[in-house]
Amino acid sequence: MLVTWKYRNRGKFLDTLDPRARWITSFLVLFSIIQFWDIRFMLFFFVLAMTQYFMTGLKWSETKRVWMFVTLLVVVIVGLNALLSGRGGPGEVLQSTEHIIWETNFTIPLVNWDFHPNITVNKLAFALTQIIRMLSSAVLFFIIPWTLDPRLYGVTFGGMGIPYRFAFSMDLAFRFVPSLARDFGITLDAQRARGYEIEKLEGGIFQMIRRVAPLIVPIVMNSIINGEDITNAMDLRCFGLEKRTWIEKLTYRRRDYAWIGFGAAIFVASLILNYGFNVGEFWVPEFMYLLAK
Amino acid sequence: MKNGIWKFGTKEVVYGAIGAALYGVLSWATNYLALPAAGNISLRPAVAIPMFFGVAFGPIVGFIAGAVGNVLGDFMSGWGFWWHWDLGNGLMGLIPGLMAASVVSFKARPTIVKAVIYSIVAAAVGMLVPSLLEIPLSGLDLNTALVGYWFPAFLSNAINGAILVPILMVAYDAVSSRSGR
Repeated sequence: MLVTWKYRNRGKFLDTLDPRARWITSFLVLFSIIQFWDIRFMLFFFVLAMTQYFMTGLKWSETKRVWMFVTLLVVVIVGLNALLSGRGGPGEVLQSTEHIIWETNFTIPLVNWDFHPNITVNKLAFALTQIIRMLSSAVLFFIIPWTLDPRLYGVTFGGMGIPYRFAFSMDLAFRFVPSLARDFGITLDAQRARGYEIEKLEGGIFQMIRRVAPLIVPIVMNSIINGEDITNAMDLRCFGLEKRTWIEKLTYRRRDYAWIGFGAAIFVASLILNYGFNVGEFWVPEFMYLLAK
Repeated sequence: MKNGIWKFGTKEVVYGAIGAALYGVLSWATNYLALPAAGNISLRPAVAIPMFFGVAFGPIVGFIAGAVGNVLGDFMSGWGFWWHWDLGNGLMGLIPGLMAASVVSFKARPTIVKAVIYSIVAAAVGMLVPSLLEIPLSGLDLNTALVGYWFPAFLSNAINGAILVPILMVAYDAVSSRSGR
């Protein structure tokens, strides 16, 4: 079983940026998005996120799976929210029973529970805003595996103030993956040769989980034993006694400052608009009221 | 030793990385094997790994195994990047780690019972934090966050953890006696 990372240098502008600049700007934009509930602002952020997405040069075949996952998630969660919405939070607008577009009544037989589901203009506008809001923040981040070099994670996070040992551990984890995936393949084959059937459908859910044990126990124990040697090797090389450098070096260039500056400008502008001018609250376009009965 | 469980030396760096790589590979692989799942509960048995690494090596190792492992798993499966769920998975490894100092024998029944309880609490708290973060991020209300995100994730992780953590502990008991540390 071979593991391949999704990352590939596609020679686009984004590939030339310092990964730290990418992270900082993504978070600045995320913290701007969550300040707003106005669909006009949401559309602006959605365009921004999609612009970044198209700048990556990713193909549909590469991201098809994540798009389907995100769409399903957004639809299910927005649907659930409309059904279950309680008091408090931004969902307060859903309490209104004015401007009904569609409603129905039904009673669950036997227990006689009455339900009055309805769709109001407010609910519809809220759901649309929410869909765009969730999509914007998802698109902003989900491109990361395809566009950031896995070799640079340690130095990136180390360079952003994360403690050295933590960053090193993260770096090491990326390096262990291919060999552990190989061990996994070998163990699976060895156990299958002994008659182990992981795909067997018999038994309840507990049985099915237990059936994974013959697969994960040997892999986990083996890696723990090997870890002992790695620890010794690192200790013999005086790991952690003094400040160490990374093999790859990152330096901010003018374009990185520009990229961070762009993110910072959006964040500051959002703060001013939100707290200074009090704009960005939930908004329903006038024409939508025409939909109501 | 004061603050013994929070020690972060070479051993913790290595085992954090191993735990993370294992969690990543196994969640990707079990996903790939398409294990049969019942109803709404998706089978992700690998969640037992950060919990077990927490119990065996302390909270910092558990946190790295959970947080970084979830990043790796999502990277390999092509799910993208979800930072708040990575944080929640980290907590799922950190919380069982809080009992690491009290472990004498990994085979002892009281230790195993304690580890199961810690794992269930870890699944509850670890999945609650990202579910609650979904409220400001996705604009959900509390009910949706709990029913849509927290409950299915908690249930599936708690069941997987409660079954597999004890199995891993018993197996590790034999290995740990071989270690010179």
